[in-house]
Amino acid sequence: MTAWEGIAYGFGVALQPDVLIYCLLGVTLGTFIGVLPGIGAMAAISLLLPITFYISPEAALIMLAGVYYGAQYGGAVASILLRLPGTPQSAVTTLDGYPMAQQGRAGVALFVSMASSFIGSILGIIVLVVLAGWLSRAATAFGAADYAAMMILGLVAASTIGSDRPVKGFAMVVLGMILGCVGTDVNSGAQRFTFARTELLDGINLVALAMGLFGVAEVIGNIRNAERQAAPERVGFRQMMPTRDDLRRIPFPALRGTALGSFFGALPGTGSTLSSFLSYAMERRVARRPERFGKGAIEGVAGPEAANNAASITAFVPTLTLGIPGDPIMALMLGALVIHGVQPGPMMLEARPEMFWGLVVSFGIGNLLLLILNMPLIGIWVSMLRIPFRYLYPAILIFVCLGVYSVRGSSFDMGVVAVVGIAGYLMALARFSPALLLLGFVLGPLIETNLRRAMLISRGDPMVFLERPIACGFTIATCLLILLSIWQVWRRRHG
Amino acid sequence: MQRDWADIWGGAVLALVGAGVALHAGLRLDFGTLRAMGPGFFPVTLGVLLLLMGAGIALPALKRGAEPVIFRWLDAGAVIAAILIFGLGMGRLGVALACFLAVIVASVPAPHGGWLWRVLLAVAVTLLVWVVFILGLRMGLPVWPRFG
Repeated sequence: MTAWEGIAYGFGVALQPDVLIYCLLGVTLGTFIGVLPGIGAMAAISLLLPITFYISPEAALIMLAGVYYGAQYGGAVASILLRLPGTPQSAVTTLDGYPMAQQGRAGVALFVSMASSFIGSILGIIVLVVLAGWLSRAATAFGAADYAAMMILGLVAASTIGSDRPVKGFAMVVLGMILGCVGTDVNSGAQRFTFARTELLDGINLVALAMGLFGVAEVIGNIRNAERQAAPERVGFRQMMPTRDDLRRIPFPALRGTALGSFFGALPGTGSTLSSFLSYAMERRVARRPERFGKGAIEGVAGPEAANNAASITAFVPTLTLGIPGDPIMALMLGALVIHGVQPGPMMLEARPEMFWGLVVSFGIGNLLLLILNMPLIGIWVSMLRIPFRYLYPAILIFVCLGVYSVRGSSFDMGVVAVVGIAGYLMALARFSPALLLLGFVLGPLIETNLRRAMLISRGDPMVFLERPIACGFTIATCLLILLSIWQVWRRRHG
Repeated sequence: MQRDWADIWGGAVLALVGAGVALHAGLRLDFGTLRAMGPGFFPVTLGVLLLLMGAGIALPALKRGAEPVIFRWLDAGAVIAAILIFGLGMGRLGVALACFLAVIVASVPAPHGGWLWRVLLAVAVTLLVWVVFILGLRMGLPVWPRFG
């Protein structure tokens, strides 16, 4: 199938009325969650996971993806109006977005963030189509050792890049991989860490784990913090009109941000938060008067917002073509697909075209919906920020319970949610990343399977990781990353 | 400033978990060889890795200061209690009563006085759950308490 045929086919999938409704539901809910500070896309996707069991896999993927990129749009709203990032990806938007709001230009800042988000997403879709086609052809040459080496690189990159305490991140990844071992071993049938509980034979329930780590833990941590925020000023459609000079400043930062975001989004382990920070740094560097940054420079909003949206689209490249999630949110998506019996990999473009092309077209439709809904409805989203958290969180908890219960009606899973919730709250307090734990949980079993297969094929010779050119490249990159992060820690301590 | 208790305790717990996992898997599961790895190979390796990293987090933290971390017992306790009341009580208490009680309990740590809004919120959430999940999604759950 050529790209044009694929897109035509994708329109047939994405324009079905029910799929369209789930797409709309996903982006609306994503924007809502993104607007609310303290609750991220991870919590929203975990909350929606149980609902997806009742719908077709392509509708499920389209809805969950809509939550993700919808949250990128919504995240900017709280960043600009309250200097509270609605999502980590939009943290950098506070740097220039909030000063703009203080100067009475909140509406323009919101316009800039939406326009550049849209540019980033649409160009990101093109990059996704090109890269996915190319990578799924290249991936037929991938062997077990190559997969294992690539996933290890992804885990190391996710825990070291942009982290000031890489060892804490890596410990969380390892803990997640250990939790991923629980259940029946696929190769030998041996039971591992099941403690004679039949509920654990299939492993720890992904929905219960994600709900506890993100839904429950985020609620506990925000009961007090979220209450202290000041009410934002009202913003309407009319305040969003930019001047000619504002408009002139959007395209080039947005294009540079898109390039950065597309690249880092597709790399495993880096993702949209990093690319938004890099884009901000780049805009400062190329600016003729960098002293304007931090005081309401439009470029400081346009670049990062385009970058994080482009990255959230291209993050689907490794997930869909190799079956390897590059960041924790993609790990959750992959988990959802596996529950639906869809195993993403190099064959997916051929074998399940409705999933891939339906998703690609739904990206375009969803982003268009976001643009035409959010511009006129911005007043409603801003007023969402006035809802006190105390009215929201008890309802969130009830939805968490009903969601977990609906999976298989198990009270054991309810206990898992409670225990994991406390653990997640403690982890957040002590600054251990629960997102990396989830990434390890999903990738761990995949790494184990491929590692065992690779060792069997190579007759126990670990040199296979250096002899195969693809695996060798990933192994060298992994070693370089580890050395780099050791050097950074050493320099901080002795510098 | 006080000692970096978060990292000391966090690292110590991780090291203990790692040691426990490695021991448990090492004693009960077949380790295998590098060529034919048994079910114990991966867990033992990961357990040892976690033990080392936990030590690597906790030991340097002994000499370091950090902002104290406040664990909010009331917030955590109320949220967990609400989950258990609703999650485990749904079947016996019925969705209506379990949901009402859980919302009341969950709302206790909210920094806003008065009981009227708590009761109104509980009624509203219960109604919402009834409309969406019982009427809308037709989840097969008892609505009212079962006696006897």
